[in-house]
Amino acid sequence: MFFDKKLLRKMDVKLLLAVAAIIIISLIVIGSATHVNTPSEERYWFVQRQGVFALINAGIAIFLMNFDYKMLQRYGHKMYVFNLIMLLAVMFVGQSALGAQRWIQLGPVTLQPSEFSKIIMIVSLASLLQDKIGKLNTLSDLIPVAAYVGVPFVLVMKQPDLGTSLVFMAIFFGMIFACGINLKLLAGIFGTGLACLPLLWHVLKDYQKMRIMVFLDPNVDPLGSGYHIIQSKIAIGSGMLFGKGLFEGTQSQLNFLPENHTDFIFAVVGEEWGFIGTLVLLLLYLVVLWRGIQIARQAQDNFGMLLAVGITSMLAFHVLVNVGMTAGIMPVTGIPLPFMSYGVSALTTNILAITILLNIYLRNQKLQF
Amino acid sequence: MSDKDIFSGRLRVLSIVIVLVITVLIARMGYLQVYDGEYYANLADGNRIRLVPSVAPRGTMYDRNGNILVTNHPGFTVSLLPLTEPISEEVIGRLSALLNVPVEEIHNKIAAHIGFDPIRIKTDVGPELTTIIAEQKDLYPGVVVEVLPIRDYIYKNQGAHAYGYVSEISDAELEKKKDEGYKSGDIIGKFGLEKVYDQYLRGTNGGEQVEVDVTGKPVQVLGKKNPIPGNDLHLTIDLEIQAAAEKAIDEQLVQIGAHAAAAVALNPQTGEVLAIVSRPAFDPNLFVNGISSKDWALINNNPYYPMDNKAITGEYPPGSTFKIITGTAALSEGKVTPEEKIFDSGHHWIIPKGNAGGEALGWLNFEEAMAHSDNVYFYEMGNRLGIDQIERYARMFGMGKLTGIDLPYEAEGLVACKAYKKRVFEEDWYLAETFDAAIGQGFNLVTPLQAASIMGEVAANGKRYKPYLVNKIVDVNGNVVKQFQPELLSQLDVEDRFIRLVQAGLHQVTKYGTAAFIFGKDYPVEIAGKTGTAENPHGRDHGWFVAYGPFNNPTIVVAVIVEQGGYGSQSAVPIGKKILDAAFHIPDPAQVAAQAKAKAEAEARARAAATAQVQKKQ
Repeated sequence: MFFDKKLLRKMDVKLLLAVAAIIIISLIVIGSATHVNTPSEERYWFVQRQGVFALINAGIAIFLMNFDYKMLQRYGHKMYVFNLIMLLAVMFVGQSALGAQRWIQLGPVTLQPSEFSKIIMIVSLASLLQDKIGKLNTLSDLIPVAAYVGVPFVLVMKQPDLGTSLVFMAIFFGMIFACGINLKLLAGIFGTGLACLPLLWHVLKDYQKMRIMVFLDPNVDPLGSGYHIIQSKIAIGSGMLFGKGLFEGTQSQLNFLPENHTDFIFAVVGEEWGFIGTLVLLLLYLVVLWRGIQIARQAQDNFGMLLAVGITSMLAFHVLVNVGMTAGIMPVTGIPLPFMSYGVSALTTNILAITILLNIYLRNQKLQF
Repeated sequence: MSDKDIFSGRLRVLSIVIVLVITVLIARMGYLQVYDGEYYANLADGNRIRLVPSVAPRGTMYDRNGNILVTNHPGFTVSLLPLTEPISEEVIGRLSALLNVPVEEIHNKIAAHIGFDPIRIKTDVGPELTTIIAEQKDLYPGVVVEVLPIRDYIYKNQGAHAYGYVSEISDAELEKKKDEGYKSGDIIGKFGLEKVYDQYLRGTNGGEQVEVDVTGKPVQVLGKKNPIPGNDLHLTIDLEIQAAAEKAIDEQLVQIGAHAAAAVALNPQTGEVLAIVSRPAFDPNLFVNGISSKDWALINNNPYYPMDNKAITGEYPPGSTFKIITGTAALSEGKVTPEEKIFDSGHHWIIPKGNAGGEALGWLNFEEAMAHSDNVYFYEMGNRLGIDQIERYARMFGMGKLTGIDLPYEAEGLVACKAYKKRVFEEDWYLAETFDAAIGQGFNLVTPLQAASIMGEVAANGKRYKPYLVNKIVDVNGNVVKQFQPELLSQLDVEDRFIRLVQAGLHQVTKYGTAAFIFGKDYPVEIAGKTGTAENPHGRDHGWFVAYGPFNNPTIVVAVIVEQGGYGSQSAVPIGKKILDAAFHIPDPAQVAAQAKAKAEAEARARAAATAQVQKKQ
């Protein structure tokens, strides 16, 4: 073990425990969601795979704790270029599913580069913004930053992966807000954004327009995507206070609920564990996000602060949009629930994000000794 | 203000936002699970939600004058609605006996079905069966009768190769088209226009999401989406000409004992297809509900391939119709003048090849040679041009490439040339083969559509238009979704005066040439034509006829081939003439004579009666 006990004392234990708890819950729920519709010999394939990757990632995380996160500063712009290359690669060699090109096959693993690009976005944007604190006062201050984010944003949008491009937006706004952007300027941007919404409508693919229409009125497409929302609401609602019990959710088990181990996993929690379950899970997320902000406050440098804010914005946006979607108060965008949804790329990205948070906390503690 | 101060203010706001987000989500969960929990628990109990799709009717096909060609009729479909409990063997047995569908087939359909929409057991059943099911409801729990639109090819065989047919989507097609929104059990265009324009014709299915009680009876509609009917196709086809062409071919095939034929009629000045026929044909209605193995065997065992659209996939030697190309090339390249006379002694002087009947026609100029389709004259033209020039002109006319018509499985034909022979036979070119090529034999192959297109170029003074079948696509509200325009593909690089000479030669074909005895002296419209007889190594020769009219402002060009029909002048010309009759509204002389005779007889009777009366009075 290349890690001593002293270091553990300097860990953000609350954050660590909350994340570990969510991952353990996720393994149980993924098992429940997948075990009926999978042939018996590979019944626990999804759980095993997710569990193995969680352990591998934990190992990598421990190893990464030996390095100072400040090293990332130097690689910010190089990572940015790498990110663009990766996103372009998806366009040309990516495999498509459901009309979108998002995956690259690397041996046994299908990678979803847009997942990793979120982290890279945060790191590169943090290195760009660290000496701009309090200096984003006019439009001309902001334009270079917006352009910097805009290029990968457009590439992701083109895949098309509306969900991830919206995450980019959340990261961008979270970080420039923390950076002390002039509030009038920010309000102006939002105003213009709202005015441009009708233009955006034309950029969206038909199925994306459909999702938004369905969000406004699920009865527009009761046999297609409206079906997901209606079934998901039924699943959550029918869980009532205490839930139907693990493996007992009829909605999830009888395959009424689609994508129940990935995007709609929160509905399985709601159905099988009831309001108690969803409350506990949401409170765990609150701990994670709260700690994210606290780590930002205590960070010893601007770079660390910005990293922590970017990561927290990303996670908060994921939680809001995913849980909101399953509960019928957000449109279906295909954004997974952090640490819960099955998916190796997303899990790796999120653990990496938490590792960075822990690292910022750790370096901060060291300084205080 | 220091950096740190800026942060702490902003971060405080961010932490409030985060607490707010989580609070909203928790509140929403409380609402759904605690406040409304009972309601959802009831819905989820044995999941009470069924999807009842309503199938969108496919678009209608109209001819150029608005006559309906292909439409839908409502058909009763007997389905099983999946319930919480499996459907009992007893009911399945009863249903099997009633519908005459084997029990295993019903089991297979149930096993293969996923989801909660109705499992279709038999489509388009008679009303007597649906009455039985309605009256004896208790004997058939879970059995429902849906009314679905069933594709209706009202003219059956007529135009079948152009309109195509629909059938249930296959696994392979589904795999390919999943992204386009096709689902298992969908009806999809498999052939012809149905296939090419499937995306427009199919419409969008609707449906209802219904809450049912434990017995499967609907209690409440949770969501509803009305189906959007498919877009209509307005074709360039003229029903009258199409019907006349089909009738003429059928009659002629019976009369001369041939089995296969094809015909195409185009407007040479636009490329619009007015009629397209292939024989033998099939009845597309047979495929709509899944073709029976008996019917399929009948089609499949027919040695003349009823499923092939011979008008665009059949490749035949052009025979003497190719002399249009050889003649144009010879004039345009200055290898012959219209006045020069060449002596036909019955065979050519270099290679002893002659006319098919062995006759010798003596001294002939260009026009006479074209009218009589003299082989010796055109052997000499081939001799003077050489194969490379012939090839160049054939390609200029569009031979050897797809016309681009909006139908699937078009063949491109073949142009006789040195490169082809080298590639396939690894041999050098011989002069005798140039002779063969000059009169459309040897390696040359065209489809009937290409033959019509080549004749059309002469008619349109060298302009070649892309043939097309759909004039416009119109949605259910009458908005034009897509409008098709004539597309000029190429213009012959030949001086106008030479084209006029070729036109004049073709004009004489119906005056004193090979088609004259069919058209007769008094045909009311001036027609240019060309007959052809293509040697067929597998049996009797194929008969060709290509023609256009009116001569001075052509509105129609036709191409007819009768497989193994013998001389074109005897097999194909009568069909071509009847198509032109229909296009120019010329009544059938036999019919006119019969009518005149009947009228005369009636008058004679009336006179006789009048005379008798007069006599009586006297």
